[in-house]
Amino acid sequence: MSERPVIPRIACALLFFSLAVTTLPRLVALVNNARTLLPLGYEARREKQMGPWYASVEALRRELPPHEQVALIASPRDVESAVFASYYLHPIRTRLFIGRDDYRNAAPDPMLPKTIVAVTADRVTQTTYDALRDRDLRTGHRVVGAPTLSEPRTTFILPIAASLDGPAPETFVIEATIVNPNRVPAELRATFWPKGLVRTITIAPGSTAKYYDLVHQLFGVLDRGWMHVDSPLPLRAAFYFVNRGHGDATLLPNIAGAATGLAAAPIYRDTKLFVINPAATPVTAVVGGVSFPFDPQAFVSWPVTNVPRVSGDVYAFVATREMNGRTDFLWPR
Amino acid sequence: MIGLVVTLVLFPLAGWCLGRRGIGEAFLFGAGLVGALLFLAGVAHVPLVVALGLIGVWIVGSGLWELLRRSTRRPNPYPLLPTILMCLPLIALTFVAAITPLSDFDGRAFWVLKAKGIAQERAIDGPFFRGATLDPRNHYPILIPLDGAVIFGVAHDSDDRQLRWLYLGLLAAFALLVRERIGRMVSPTAGAWCAALLVWIPQFAVEPEGGALSAYSDIALAAFAAGAFFELVDAVAGSRGLAVSGCSAPSSPRDRAIRFGLWLAFLVLTKSEGLPFALIFLVIGAFVFRKRIVIPAITSVIAALALFVWRARIPAGDEEDILHKLPTIFRKLHHLGDALAAFPAHIFLFPRWGLFWIAVVIAAVLAWRVDRSGAKVAISVIIAMLAVYAGVYIATEWVASDLIAVTADRLLMHVIAPALFLLALGARAEKGERASSPAPDGRLARRWGRRRT
Repeated sequence: MSERPVIPRIACALLFFSLAVTTLPRLVALVNNARTLLPLGYEARREKQMGPWYASVEALRRELPPHEQVALIASPRDVESAVFASYYLHPIRTRLFIGRDDYRNAAPDPMLPKTIVAVTADRVTQTTYDALRDRDLRTGHRVVGAPTLSEPRTTFILPIAASLDGPAPETFVIEATIVNPNRVPAELRATFWPKGLVRTITIAPGSTAKYYDLVHQLFGVLDRGWMHVDSPLPLRAAFYFVNRGHGDATLLPNIAGAATGLAAAPIYRDTKLFVINPAATPVTAVVGGVSFPFDPQAFVSWPVTNVPRVSGDVYAFVATREMNGRTDFLWPR
Repeated sequence: MIGLVVTLVLFPLAGWCLGRRGIGEAFLFGAGLVGALLFLAGVAHVPLVVALGLIGVWIVGSGLWELLRRSTRRPNPYPLLPTILMCLPLIALTFVAAITPLSDFDGRAFWVLKAKGIAQERAIDGPFFRGATLDPRNHYPILIPLDGAVIFGVAHDSDDRQLRWLYLGLLAAFALLVRERIGRMVSPTAGAWCAALLVWIPQFAVEPEGGALSAYSDIALAAFAAGAFFELVDAVAGSRGLAVSGCSAPSSPRDRAIRFGLWLAFLVLTKSEGLPFALIFLVIGAFVFRKRIVIPAITSVIAALALFVWRARIPAGDEEDILHKLPTIFRKLHHLGDALAAFPAHIFLFPRWGLFWIAVVIAAVLAWRVDRSGAKVAISVIIAMLAVYAGVYIATEWVASDLIAVTADRLLMHVIAPALFLLALGARAEKGERASSPAPDGRLARRWGRRRT
């Protein structure tokens, strides 16, 4: 031993010590952590490591159909969680969509998964597109900050009521503000046509009811049509057709009945003629010189390249998209 | 438990199919062989179950035959202290791996997920690789995931607890390979200490991203690179007439070239970095193996072609295609500073490497004096590989500093074997042994010759 050179031994000891001084405490910590996990089952150890997030994945794995691909929708900051969700959900097949827009833009894809899983860093839950959309709209800002309220009225018609998405960022909603100026509660009855869905709401005296997405909030659907509103007491209201993606809004007229006098006006792209039959009976109207029958409470639209002449007991209007994406309406006189 | 048994039995037996070797080397060789053969079978559309069955029969048959046929040579007498020091972290890591679930990023996001996909579909280009499941790095080579899929398949369980032993086994086998090869080429004491140092390096032992408790493929790549490097140094020693055979059977230059070629094929199929690594080994190997370099070149080309064919069949993930980015390197020379500073900055990162790389730099200078040829090979491999990685840092579309921060330490892992070899040579130089390079040192040769007997 004494013949062995000292310098290499000291150098080796120093080198080893420099490694052990970092590794040993971490190794001890790892062993101690393992000891605390030892009494638990394996899944419980994972839950202990990853918290409630893993428990939500476990629960979801039992719920999801095993042979159907699911869409994982996560915000950009939660992509990491989605990757791990994919790992722990395996063998359930997964497809990642970064944000709801990514999913809706894939709508033309016939392989688009119908089952949706929302992933955040906190939990993983099965949900629906409507629910995610509603969450986004609810947490976002309304476009109309100071609505222009109508004079008090008891009954009127909204010629268009919609809750729809186009390709991102097109998001069409009706922002509504309804004020009860009376000293007693007002009951409002809204009917969404042509589906005929009815909802009744009560507005307290002097209160205001506000909706960021009237159709979906009242009727729970993503659809378009027209709406009949009536109340025993006169109410003041403002309904805006809003494109949340572009942040633009158009105040909708509160109409009383049929009107067809469309004036010539410039039109842009995606121009459509809308015809509604507010009556409870069939009617016939002439559009561009051709007669068309309309069912009771019908809501019909078709593309046009100019503003046509319309006559009959119907309400007709035109919607056109400016080049900047804003929707313009041509209302009848 | 089944995963443990499969890991401990299957891969060493596979490694012994092509000749008797130490258990560490056999494990690594077996892991590479099983993964590579299954990959080739998958590319040729041979059902993986059939391929695995045939490989299994061959492994059990020839592995056992080889094991029983050859007399067991007495292993080199490794000193007790470094052996104990080597075992301590491995025992602790075994305890930890048995209890704690996998928790690293790449392991779950890419590598083990691929193993699960392959095990479930029993194919390497099935729906999993065609977008049916979120697989962000679809084009990553899959040799280690194929090994994982074998374990999952035999265990009939796709829980990652079955694979914990594979990744820990790779580190243990790597340490044994280092101990045996450096023990044979330099001295048993040097080999034992190098193995002990290896398992105590924080980046290998306890680092959550890339260490033995993670499911990254960096330890595997480092181990396969070590296999190739040691064959190269063996060949250098052999070409100088030095005896390098220890517990293994003496091998002919042709056998050595075949083994070298297989290690290179494993590199190509393990990680994307493996391809440039194999090219560097081929270039350096051409000076050592001379005409016989054709053999490793063929195995590497077969592996690379298979990899490219497989990649062409499946959609790419979000991984960066560096080959296509290379022509843009001259437009990105502003990354040069970051790239050149990357490795010097990380080799001084004490919590990951301690004084290891500083010791390697000093040892390299000393090693140059004791065995210029061996040191030249080791230094060439390290510098060439780090230069390639620096080139990647220049060409990348990522923010270079971010990429460097998350990868530099793992890339340093890949060149650990030549670094340990330099340490061993440097320690020898400090003991007063000198070689009159470039000719082989007679005293050294005599010592090596004595050790052989």
